[in-house]
This record gives sequence, structure tokens and C-alpha cells, in this order.
Amino acid sequence: MRRAVGSVPLLLMLFFIGHAKETRYSPPGKPKLTSCRSPEKETFTCWWEPGSDGGLPTTYALYYRKENSDAVYECPDYHTAGENSCFFNKNDTSIWVNYNITVVATNALGSNFSDPVDVDVVYIVQPHTPENVTVTVMEDKDGPFLRVSWEPPRKADTRSGWITLIYELRVKLEGEEEWEEHRAGQQKMFNIFSLRSGGMYLVQVRCKPDHGFWSEWSSTTYIKVPDYFPRETSVWILIAVFSAFIFFILTWILNLKSNSVKHCLLPPVPGPKIKGFDKQLLKNGRSEEVFSALVVPGFPPTTSSDCEDLLVEYLEVYTPEEQELILEEGKDLQEGCLKSKGSPSDSDSGRGSCDSHTLLMEKCGEGEGKEEKHQERAQKGKRQQKHQTGWEEGDVSHTREDVLSPDMSEGRVKTWPSVFSPLPQYSSRPLDHQGSLETARQLCLSDSLFPPPSTSSHLSYNAKEGLALGSGQQEFYLGKKQTHPSNPQSQPRWHLQAHSDFNISSMDRKQAASGLQLPGFRSTEYVEVQRVNQEDMVILQPLFSSSCQRDGHLQIGQGEDYSKVKGVDSGNMLLLQREVEVKREEEDGDRYSCDIQDRVTESCYTTSTAASSQVTGKPTSCAGTAMPVQEEMVLAANGYVDAATMLL
Amino acid sequence: MSMTGNYTILQGGVWALLLWPCLLTVSHPLDCKEEQGSISRCPTISQEKLLDRVIQHAEVIYRVSEESCTLFEEMFVPFPMRLQRNQAGYTCITKALPIPSSKSEIQQISDTWLLHSVLMLVQSWIEPLVYLQTTLDRYDDAPDLLLNKTKWVSEKLVSLEQGVVVLMKKMLDEGMLTTAYNEHGLVQYDVQPEMLESVLRDYMLLSCFKKDAHKMETFLKLLKCRQTDKYNCALY
Repeated sequence: MRRAVGSVPLLLMLFFIGHAKETRYSPPGKPKLTSCRSPEKETFTCWWEPGSDGGLPTTYALYYRKENSDAVYECPDYHTAGENSCFFNKNDTSIWVNYNITVVATNALGSNFSDPVDVDVVYIVQPHTPENVTVTVMEDKDGPFLRVSWEPPRKADTRSGWITLIYELRVKLEGEEEWEEHRAGQQKMFNIFSLRSGGMYLVQVRCKPDHGFWSEWSSTTYIKVPDYFPRETSVWILIAVFSAFIFFILTWILNLKSNSVKHCLLPPVPGPKIKGFDKQLLKNGRSEEVFSALVVPGFPPTTSSDCEDLLVEYLEVYTPEEQELILEEGKDLQEGCLKSKGSPSDSDSGRGSCDSHTLLMEKCGEGEGKEEKHQERAQKGKRQQKHQTGWEEGDVSHTREDVLSPDMSEGRVKTWPSVFSPLPQYSSRPLDHQGSLETARQLCLSDSLFPPPSTSSHLSYNAKEGLALGSGQQEFYLGKKQTHPSNPQSQPRWHLQAHSDFNISSMDRKQAASGLQLPGFRSTEYVEVQRVNQEDMVILQPLFSSSCQRDGHLQIGQGEDYSKVKGVDSGNMLLLQREVEVKREEEDGDRYSCDIQDRVTESCYTTSTAASSQVTGKPTSCAGTAMPVQEEMVLAANGYVDAATMLL
Repeated sequence: MSMTGNYTILQGGVWALLLWPCLLTVSHPLDCKEEQGSISRCPTISQEKLLDRVIQHAEVIYRVSEESCTLFEEMFVPFPMRLQRNQAGYTCITKALPIPSSKSEIQQISDTWLLHSVLMLVQSWIEPLVYLQTTLDRYDDAPDLLLNKTKWVSEKLVSLEQGVVVLMKKMLDEGMLTTAYNEHGLVQYDVQPEMLESVLRDYMLLSCFKKDAHKMETFLKLLKCRQTDKYNCALY
């Protein structure tokens, strides 16, 4: 029993010994040369990695062979560089020479050679880190900056040029992750700008030879930048404050003058100001109702009337003896009224209020504000005239609004000037239409005074009072009662001008004015429709009750007198009534000396879309007017047709 | 006839007029030339400046040769063979030249010998580089960059040679020895029987040249140190 117990440990021992005996010893594993480095191109070190040692103590040996020589040498120094390394000192180091290096691992059982490695010292240089890295804060006019300076590693012989190092440094703010790297070349100093005030910076430097490896980064140097106020920011703040200040001032001024600014930038859009015109109706989109509201019953007048009846009362407004005023006024009117110098096909009735074709035909939205403008101008003119001259009837009020009777359409008022141009006999001067223009305008202005004629189916207007233009004739005629005694027979001749092409240049006006003579040819004139030509143009001609004495061209014929509007038919055609025969042809460009604007408006009327007027020659005649007739002929309440609108 | 004779004289005169700058060059020997080989003027250049320029040249040549070698290696040399510098017994053509190969050796030799070493190196590489150019042109897909670089290097090498010669004259008061080393070891480059592949041969050539360029650069820099600060340089 005891023997059995005693044999168990023995057995165990045997078992273990047997196991121990079975452990294999083998030759060492293959070592491996990991790297060789030279810090200064004068010495170098090689390291290897041992393989398995095979269980036995293993020794390592390094052998090398220089290029093209078969002598094999062993490593001179195994200890200086540490474990598993071989250090070649200066004497053993040759530059530009290939070393063929092998490491051998040997143990009791055998040896193992590593793979040979070729090494040229020149290419394995990895210097130490730069030394004495110093960072200082320096001041500049733009602010502080960092100056980093360092020295090459001690062992590298850069002074003699044996080794050339290039440097690199990196900077970052404390707390940041990204480094900012800078190449410094061969210099040993570097400046860093654009610092954040009050920041803490970290700086590191490293170096490399021109043909080797980068060294490790030097240990971090910390530097704190003092607080400073960047100049640029202060400038920007100043600029910002200043601009804000200016901005506020501008805003305040703008606020004060908001009205005038608004007026300047966004002129008020005139709305329709036709009496009897209902905006609401228009908005509702029922144009028929809108326009029907404007229709004045009793128009067109169907009763025939003689010349007297055709006389329309109006107030002639023009200034006596005051050319400047007239001129002024003309100018004034001119701006709005006048546009063309007789452009033949001027569809834009940018004429004065008196001339505007839209006067009669008041269509909503139609005059592009012209109406208003014209009105305004007419008003202005009127007012001017009011001031300048004394009216024989002083209480003539010029404002349209006053005068207009409710049933008088504004169109009518406005039509005046456009409709006619009274042509007193300014025979001495070839009266340019300007004169008549002027007169016409004046007539227009004065129109407001006229009560609606009962029979106003004619297109001709009777400038009964005769129009004195400008300085030449400083007379005014008021009302229809006044028939100028001096020219009993003269009739103001009217030119239907659908739109007056008046060329009221001051010059002209002056001329006209000066050319005015007041002899007595101031009478209202009738324009009569001569015929309707194939283009649907109404050819008008003035109706002369008596021939113009001075002129031999008068051809007052016995043509047709279509001066009365019978009505408007369904096709928007203006039906004119024949009355007297007037025969005059006006196709020639001659001017009647008596009546310069005789033909001005002839054929300016069209019943439908317009053709060019047939008046030629006269610059201010309606030759230029080629305005198509509006689709809808809006007849004024009193039966006057706005030729201008017809020509639209 | 007299007219043709006159014409000939005139022609000759015109040619003489056109070619008169050549007379100048003839009369002005190498020391008038700048390192880069420009003939325009002949300002005297100080020795330090000349040495600086020569060093710059050598630096640039080394850098470009390194780039060329890398390019070639990436393009044509299979990876396993890249690090083996001693390919099958290939030796650099300048092996035979008596050039110091360690710092201690270099520190012991004189300025004269340094310069001579440099000149030897430069002169021995001029022709092989031209040869390399022709072989590279035969490659199917040699990148233009590589070709341009090698071309550039061979041109610059010529100017480097001129500069070193001038430098020698200035520093050492020696005469023109330009032809002295040209025959050295030149023939070795075409005797490489072990080289089976021209690619490897060219690769070796480029590597050798790279190394030699570095040698030139180092020698010149050491020379400069000696010129400026003789005592500190020598002692290390």
C-alpha cells in the first residue's frame, strides 16, 4: 500500500519528465531587419527583430558587406544602441556606399539567416528633433505675432554643409484639433501672424534632410498671446455705427417728407372723374351700364338748328396783351397738351386737355390719365388766364367743376379745344394752327361756361366770340351772347380737330399771337362734314357763312354738311346728318389765309377705326392724327362728339 | 568681273558684320561665362557668388534626379526589386573614380581635390545621361515628365561642368582641364552583361546618378564651408 502511494508521485514525475522530453527544440526562427537609421549621416544603427528562438538560447550576429567587395564584416557594436541592434560608428560608416546587411540567429540546433537588406547611409538619414524651440510674442503695427526660433539637432552638421536640413513647424490653439503646418525651409526662424487675442498656442518643430526622413516633432512649446484689440475690427465697428447713423437720419427725413416722396415716386393714379360715371358699376364689369349712365338723353340732337343755335357758349380764355402769360400758359398747356408737330399718325392724344380726344368720349380707364392731366392743365391754363385778364364777365368761373352742369359731360367740356380751333382771320400771318390752337385751347377752357347747347348735334363749334390769340387780339368773348360786333359775319371757324396737333410752341404762339389780328373775323365757325370717304373717314370742312374776305381760296362750296350727328348706330357708327352742302375740298395743302386751320380737323373724324387723316400740309392739322375711333362712341350728353375720341 | 568681285566683297563684309559677336566670344574665354553658359556680358563674378550658384545648381540637379528616379521606379520597376541596389553585381559607372566616401575621408582631402572630384563626377555623367535619354525614348510609355526631367538634368549638368571649371580656375588658378577626366570609366556603362533587362539597367543608372548628384552637392557645400570659415569647418 505504501509502495503504491509512493509510486504515484514517481509516476507523476516520470510523466512530467516524459512530457518535458517531448518539447521540441528547433533552430531559431528567421530574424528580420526592421530598420536602419542614421541621425547625422555619419553613423548609423540597424535594428532587427528576432524570430522564435526555438526554445534554446539564441544569439544574433549581424554581418555586412560593402558594395562590390566580398569581405564580410561583423557588426562592431551590439550594445550602444540597445537590444537587437548594431551600431556603426564613424569609422565604419561609408557614405554613398551600399551595405548589404544580414542578421543571423544561432542557437544550439542551428542558425537562421535573415533576408539581406541593402542600405545606403545617405538615404536613411533621420535626424533628431530640433532643439531649443523658443516662441516669443512680438508687436507689430498690425498686431502681435509669434516668432518661433529653434536650432538644429546637436549632432547634425549643418554648419559645414555636410547635411542640409529643412524645417517644418505646426501651430494650434489650445483646445483645437487641427494643427496648422508651415514649411520653414532652411531657416531657423518663423513668424506667425493673425493670432487670436488672448489665445494659448502650441508650437512644435521638426526637420528633415533633403534626402531622408522627417524627424519627430519637438516637445510642445506653449505661448499665450496677450489681449489686444484688432484694428480692423474697430474700423469696421466705426463704419457700421456711422452707416447706421446715416441710415436713421435718412429714414427720419424720408418720414417727414413721405408725402412729397410718395408723390414723386408714385404719382396718384387719376380715377375717372366723369359725372355720372359710376366706378362701382365699372367694377362690376357691366360696361353697358356704366356708359349708359353717361348718355345724356336728348343727344344727338335731332332738331336742325341754324348757325346761331350752333353757337356754343363758352368762355374764351386768353390773355389780352400779355404774351408772356399766354406763352406761359401755352407752355403750360403745352406740356400736357402738345405732343406732336403734326405728326401724321399720332395715335397718342398726348395733347392738352383741350385737345384731348378723350374729352368727349369718356371711357373708363381710357385716357391713361391723360384726361386728368389735361383737365389739370386746362384748369391751370384757365386759372392763369383768369388771373391775367379781366373777364368781361368777371364771374366766369373757369373751373370745370363749377361750370359743368351735371348733365354736361366732362367730355363735352373737354372736347372743345380738340374739336375746334377757331380761326379768326389772322390772315396777315399764316396763322398757324398754333394760334388757333391756342385759341382752341382757350376755347376749350372756356367751354365750361357754356351751357349745353340744345342742339348740339353738330360737330362744329362756334367760336362765336372769335378767338383772339395772344397778344394780337386781346379780346375775350364771353358767352354766346357776345357776338363780336366787329365781325358780324365772320364766323369763327372751327376746325374739328379730333386731336389737335397743335404745335404750340411758344414761338409759334407768339407768331400766332402777333399775327393775330383782330379785325373782326372772329366768328364761330362751323365745321361741317363734307363727306364720308371710303375709309370711313369723315371729311369735314369748315363752314363759312361768309367767305373770308381776304382769301381767295375759299371755296366754300355747297357741299354736304354733315355737321350734325344724327346718332350712333349699333355698329358704333356715327351717323351724321346732312345739312348744308359744303363743297370744299381740302386735300390740298394750301392754307386758307383767312382760316388757317380750316382744314385742320377735316377728315379727322372717323367713325370707326381710324385711318390717317386727310389733312395734309398743315403741321398742326389733324393730319397727324390717325387715331382710330374708339369702338364705342360715347356721345356727350349734349350731343357733341369728341372727334378726338373718334379718332382714337 | 569687277562687279561680281565687288559683290563678293560686299557679301563677305555683310557676313563679317553679322558674325562679329562670335569674335567676341572667341576672344573671351570661359571665365567670362556665367555658370549658366550665357554669353551676353562678361561681368566679373565674385568667387562666393559663383560657388553659391554652383551649389544651387548641384542641389537642383540632385532634386530632379531624385524625382526622376522615383518616377522611373514607380513606372517600370516591379516592387520586389526596388530596394536592391546591388543588382546582380551592377556597379555604378563612377565606381572607379577615386572619390572619398566618408566624412572623415572628405574632411581630410584638400579643396583642390574636392573640386576635382566634383568635376570628375560631372564629366563622367554627361554622356551616360544622353545615352539614358535615347533609351528612355525607346520605351513604350515613358511619361513625358520623366523624359523632360532627364533631358533637363543633362542640360544642367553641362552648365554645372562649366561653372565648376570656372570655379576651379578662380579658386585654384588652374588651367583648363576639361578633357582630363572625360575618358575615365566612361566605357563601363555599356558593359553590363549581367543585366538582362534594360529596365533594370536604366534603373540602376538613374540610382547611381542620383547618388553621385548628392555627392557633388555635398562636396560643394563642404567646399563652401571651408571657403567661408576654414577653421570651424575642418574641425568637427
